[in-house]
Amino acid sequence: MGPTPMPGIADLRNWDYKLLNRYKPFYTPYCEMCCFCTFGKCDLTGGKKGACGLGMAAQQARFVTIACLIGCSAHTAHGRHLLHKVLKLVGDREINMGTGINVEAPLTRLITGIKPERLSDFIPVLEYLEEQIAQLMDSTHTGQEGSNLDYESKAYHAGMLDSLGKEVADIIQIVAFDLPKGDPDTPLVEIGMGCVDESKPVILVIGHNVVPSVAVMDYMSDHGLDERIEVVGICCTAIDTTRYSRKARIVGSIGRQLRFVRSGVADVIMVDEQCIRADILEQAERIHAPLIATNDKALYGLIDRTNDSVDDIVTILASGKEPGVAILDPVKAGEVAVRVVQIMHEKRKELVHILTDEEFKEYVTMCQNCDANCIVACPQGLPIGEANKAAAEGNTAPLASLFDPCVGCGRCEQVCKKHIPIVDVILKASLPYVKSEKGMIRVGRGPVLDTEIRKVGAPLVLGTIPGIIAIVGCGNYPSGTKDVYLIAKEFAERKYIVVLTGCGAMDAALYRDEDGKTLYEKYPGDFDGGCVLNIGSCVSNAHIHGAAIKVAAIYARRNIRGNYAEIADYILNRVGACGVAWGAMSQKAASIASGVNRIGIPVVIGPHGWKYRRAYLGRKYVDEDWVVYDARDGSKVQIEPAPEHLLVAADTYQEAIPLIARLCFRPTDNSMGRQVKLTHYMDLSMKYLGVYPDDWHIFVRGEADLPLARKEEYLKILKEEHGWDVDLEAKKILSGPVRKMDVGFDATNLEELIKKKE
Amino acid sequence: MEIPFDIGNISGPENARVSGPEALGRVIKNANRPLLVVGSEILDDGLIEKAITIGKKGIPIAATAHSMKGFVDAGYTENVYLTGLHELANNIESRDWMGFDKKGGYDVIAVLGGIYYSTSQFLIALKNFATDPMVRCISIDRYYHPAARMSFGNISRKHTHEFKKMLDRVIENI
Repeated sequence: MGPTPMPGIADLRNWDYKLLNRYKPFYTPYCEMCCFCTFGKCDLTGGKKGACGLGMAAQQARFVTIACLIGCSAHTAHGRHLLHKVLKLVGDREINMGTGINVEAPLTRLITGIKPERLSDFIPVLEYLEEQIAQLMDSTHTGQEGSNLDYESKAYHAGMLDSLGKEVADIIQIVAFDLPKGDPDTPLVEIGMGCVDESKPVILVIGHNVVPSVAVMDYMSDHGLDERIEVVGICCTAIDTTRYSRKARIVGSIGRQLRFVRSGVADVIMVDEQCIRADILEQAERIHAPLIATNDKALYGLIDRTNDSVDDIVTILASGKEPGVAILDPVKAGEVAVRVVQIMHEKRKELVHILTDEEFKEYVTMCQNCDANCIVACPQGLPIGEANKAAAEGNTAPLASLFDPCVGCGRCEQVCKKHIPIVDVILKASLPYVKSEKGMIRVGRGPVLDTEIRKVGAPLVLGTIPGIIAIVGCGNYPSGTKDVYLIAKEFAERKYIVVLTGCGAMDAALYRDEDGKTLYEKYPGDFDGGCVLNIGSCVSNAHIHGAAIKVAAIYARRNIRGNYAEIADYILNRVGACGVAWGAMSQKAASIASGVNRIGIPVVIGPHGWKYRRAYLGRKYVDEDWVVYDARDGSKVQIEPAPEHLLVAADTYQEAIPLIARLCFRPTDNSMGRQVKLTHYMDLSMKYLGVYPDDWHIFVRGEADLPLARKEEYLKILKEEHGWDVDLEAKKILSGPVRKMDVGFDATNLEELIKKKE
Repeated sequence: MEIPFDIGNISGPENARVSGPEALGRVIKNANRPLLVVGSEILDDGLIEKAITIGKKGIPIAATAHSMKGFVDAGYTENVYLTGLHELANNIESRDWMGFDKKGGYDVIAVLGGIYYSTSQFLIALKNFATDPMVRCISIDRYYHPAARMSFGNISRKHTHEFKKMLDRVIENI
């Protein structure tokens, strides 16, 4: 057992400060005031402190801590809820992750020291999580923490807890529902708004907690209805339902929610928890589809009919006496959904929800292109008025082009002085595109196999597999879903390991190459270079942390139990991984990123990510920030800035791609690995930005690091533009690099890992 | 009073003064170490020509997002520096950063052609934390940026022609 099983708030503070001293928090206040208590509102601008004494930096860090706690609570409570339900449904099952996995729960082992053998072994893990969440939440009360750095340490702690909560939740559902256990070759399923068979009754499930959807699939299967009813999903419940049953289909990620509901295709809507529109009841009523709420965290004012008979509930919903009901027994909710949908499908057959041609023409003609309200209400600033004007003149292409960059929030409609239903107008214009939106996604495979780690451990640490690119998170993209496809495609073609979860996994599946193949059809699903893996839902992305931990456990044979700082230090210095949360929107995304950062993995976020208020940015020109120990003798070694940042935003995917490649450098890359990484970094910068990066030379430790194909060209640049002493004839670098390549270099930031003092 | 381009983007008690092109041009002219920060939207509507004209007046340009490609394609890279917006803000706040030319930090930052919301956060970061030494930020973009000290008001895309004329007047005053 390592030194920190079940760490409290301050137990990993030393590690946090190592990170915070190098990757200093950079704040972008979204609000310059504080309104948390009745002393306020307090103006924190110009270096002023609030009435409680808290300054701007600490307030931002406090806010981030709270956001991370919200996210962490969502995943943890999801896990707790799953455990409650599945212990009743399937009993206390043994945790058997299959023959390819011995390290069954890497985060649980790392953080708590517990090696879970049965589902009930997660009870003390959840108790630990819940206590820590309460303690952290307490620290955000007025009159508690006053240091921004200590709030950052707390945000890291919440992020770490979030990763643990996710792992608990996903392992519970994998074991309880026999979801895939790391199978690289899971089946392909359809995805997209165009993949739904509208001739059948359609149940739409939205959310993240799969238990009620499992009950729907079971009831259908038990009653021979598999082929007669469509079950389609939005968000992670969709991904997890397809992990359980290949009969389900995925509509898409969160951005499609309002548009798909408005399309009226769903005959019944069933929601569980997280990322559901708060006005889902109103939207469901608008299309005359009954709503079934199945989770006590999201009840929408509905009457709780959990204890009523199924027959009575079906009658109430089918008659329209109530627009929806709450049913907190998932099995009952599943039966009700299946029975009601068959009645509602018949009743709703004649209803039309898409605008008619005449209505469409009337609305776009009504628009005065005033640019006064909708454009400033739109989070993307989309030119709605211009597009309406073009449509009124007969050209619907500009309106249709708004469908994908639109995040589907509906703010535009609420401010339109002419009361134009703008979401419906865009939907109508883009109907041909919507009908043809049919992608393919590989069913979420869950964890990475120990056997796969044995194969890729060395090339990952040495750098010859140039990195793991983890595309995760929500759909708040700057310019539409295609960005994540393009990012994933670029790195898969370059033999990085591309892993995806959640909305990112879904959106990347919507596009096809010139041969008509989606990424999941084109690339294998193994954890290896040049592969594209759908790991699963939001909670499944714990397995990405898990893969990095397993590299330390299996390839490097480090003890992981209760040994967080050492393993995070190992990952920071050796595992070339980079998270990409291109459409990060939620508080869960904040806690996910903070958890990934604490374990030593950098994350690139899209431009909306600035609104999270805080980044972790390195300063490559400050030499003392880039000094580590050589654990062999404790000597201090000046290193290149690798990785340069822990959390950084890019504005466009063209900017993000070279940045992601840059953040895959690690101090321990061998020369072959550094060559590979440098090749990609420079190629990508030239491809997307038109120039070589201005900092590539700082990653060169000697001529052996230079890509062979361009060695002469690069040596010349080093000599002429950077003033290095280079013997061009002998192709030798005589002086210039920050340090020389040392194959035995054992980089660490932790004094306690030094084996022998110099 | 002008409203922010993203209407909910009201951050605090002090908001930018809506200013005309002459005044904004003079702020750049009177700066000791001005820097023009441009983003990907300068690749639209021919705005890059205006940025290049400003660059030719001796104002260094920080090319963020993938705007660098536009300068390369236009054959102008003389005083154009590739950077990320996040990294740039972090550097501007740092006393250790010596600027792109290694001669020191910048005292006036002008923004043009960036994504509205990330540029807004860039400006608010500098407003609150680039205070020692003080860095003044102005916007010559088509959006009202409340976190700048001085800014144009919102200019609709249908008035792009007028916006470009305003940029010409900024340039005349540099």
